[in-house]
Amino acid sequence: MSKRQENHDDWVDVQRGVVSRDIFVSDEVFKLEMQKIFDSTWSFLAHESEVPSPGDFVLRRLGSAPVIVVRDGDGTIHALLNSCRHRGAAVCRAESGNQRHFVCPYHGWTYERSGRLITTTFDRHLPSDFDFQEHGLPRVPRLENYRGFVFASWNENAISFDAFLNDFRWYIDPFLSRSPGGMQVLAPPHRWRVKANWKIGALNFVGDSQHILTTHVGPLTLDPVWSARAGLINRPANSFQVATDCGHGCTLVYLPPGLPDHLYQTHPADLEPLYRATLREGQPDMLRHLRVIVGTIFPNLSFIETQVGPAQKAIIFRQWQPISGTEMEVLSWVLAEKEAAPEYKATVLRNGFHNFGAAGVFEQDDLELWASATAASDNPISKRFPYSFHTALPYMNSPEKDDHLPGRIFKPTEVEVAQFEFMRQWLQCMTA
Amino acid sequence: MSTEELRAVDSDIYLTVQRFLYREAALLDKRDYSAWLKLAAEDIHYCVTVAVAQDAAAKPVRYSIVEETFSGLKARVEQISNPRLTRAENPPSLTRRVVSNVEAYHTELANELLVTSYLLAYRMRPQEPEGGFYVSERDDVLRRDGSGFRLARRTVRLDQTMLFGGALSALL
Repeated sequence: MSKRQENHDDWVDVQRGVVSRDIFVSDEVFKLEMQKIFDSTWSFLAHESEVPSPGDFVLRRLGSAPVIVVRDGDGTIHALLNSCRHRGAAVCRAESGNQRHFVCPYHGWTYERSGRLITTTFDRHLPSDFDFQEHGLPRVPRLENYRGFVFASWNENAISFDAFLNDFRWYIDPFLSRSPGGMQVLAPPHRWRVKANWKIGALNFVGDSQHILTTHVGPLTLDPVWSARAGLINRPANSFQVATDCGHGCTLVYLPPGLPDHLYQTHPADLEPLYRATLREGQPDMLRHLRVIVGTIFPNLSFIETQVGPAQKAIIFRQWQPISGTEMEVLSWVLAEKEAAPEYKATVLRNGFHNFGAAGVFEQDDLELWASATAASDNPISKRFPYSFHTALPYMNSPEKDDHLPGRIFKPTEVEVAQFEFMRQWLQCMTA
Repeated sequence: MSTEELRAVDSDIYLTVQRFLYREAALLDKRDYSAWLKLAAEDIHYCVTVAVAQDAAAKPVRYSIVEETFSGLKARVEQISNPRLTRAENPPSLTRRVVSNVEAYHTELANELLVTSYLLAYRMRPQEPEGGFYVSERDDVLRRDGSGFRLARRTVRLDQTMLFGGALSALL
């Protein structure tokens, strides 16, 4: 084992364009990922609209540890380790709710929403030098509320969040927040488990354009909007994929230029002035001309905005939480602009989870095949044959030149460059 | 929906309601989706919800994972019944729906009954080592249609806070 861990050349083979199957099934690799990636870099925790009022909390996982994300009386959002400093019980066991204090149900240690220890209930028996300050619920040391999305890291020395997102902000910002009120989560996240490695989901959203017409032939055939526009989608000359530093990547599929104006009107007309007031130059036009954007913030937060179904677009954010080498838990949120009309929000929510929820018509076929890929790879014979990312090779060293677009741009969208770049960043983290 | 103030149906009606639910479950288990869809009213609202674990003193929270009108339901049925258009149901799942604890009540509308039932739905994906259960309680509204009924509303409350075994492709 130790010998294998010293030589990771076969994990991601940049020369040959192949990736080891072992890293998509192995529990050893999973444990190393927890340490090298999930306990080291930035991860998404929650959206601020999930905890709108003082005392509101949701339970989440940050890296390998359970955390409480809670709003304090002064509006600050804290992330606290959900394990009592006394004997380890979870101090909070509801998935969401509102609490003034967190009282451990085991022996009664009581904490403020900031994590500060108030009483152990047997304070009179404590040694005189017992330090209450030192025995609060540990606070996640790095926390950033970026455009309403709360990201955090257990690593005190993690690079700044701005440096982490860097060029990717240009692409992601219009989907994180694009109106003065920002986005709002429309319902609690759908949650499901699937016996598939988490990286399959992350890669799928970086831009697995090759799976769309095979995996999703069902909903695409049955959906009137897609069918009517299939001709447009098959000629995405102005579409591209992007990879930026730190492993982020996305795919942008545009409507062709020169269509009748109403075909670009996939957001409510009354919201568009808000976009123009909030976003940077070029971004409102990007929103207007995009048919679909799908992407992943490294390591495991993905998003998609697409128009499927008769109504407008829906934004879905999606987190792939590793459970083991061969299983993940998925959380999936649907969002809309806070200023949007209630009926619009209801439509976005319904369309969002009709397609991409725990019973989504796209989801059901994806998950079946991801589980199949994981199960069929998890044996020594299959592991002799690495996964193919060959369509990345002819393109990966020749990004397109574009003065207006940050990051490394690649065309066409149906090659695997952005996915392969994700795997290269993964390798860099794992071998650092 | 409180059933306390509602009047329970007599035994004759009860039996026709029970037979409707059994027949409908059998159609789904046989994957005769087109026959099943004929039992759905054109204004059907079909909804599946999941629970959020809350403090026992707090108000229960549920959210929808499926919410369909007839057209959405029809699209789902067309997807899973066409071998070319589905991955999740090809090869098809083996399913068995056990319906029990049926209660039926008159409503304010003379032609509609409120029917509550428990559903234990077993689903086995081919090549997986074990099957799984979707356990739920259902509130249905059955509407008179000639000598039979049409399903006008169905709310399925799953006894789950998280779905296991991938995304739900089955109808419950």
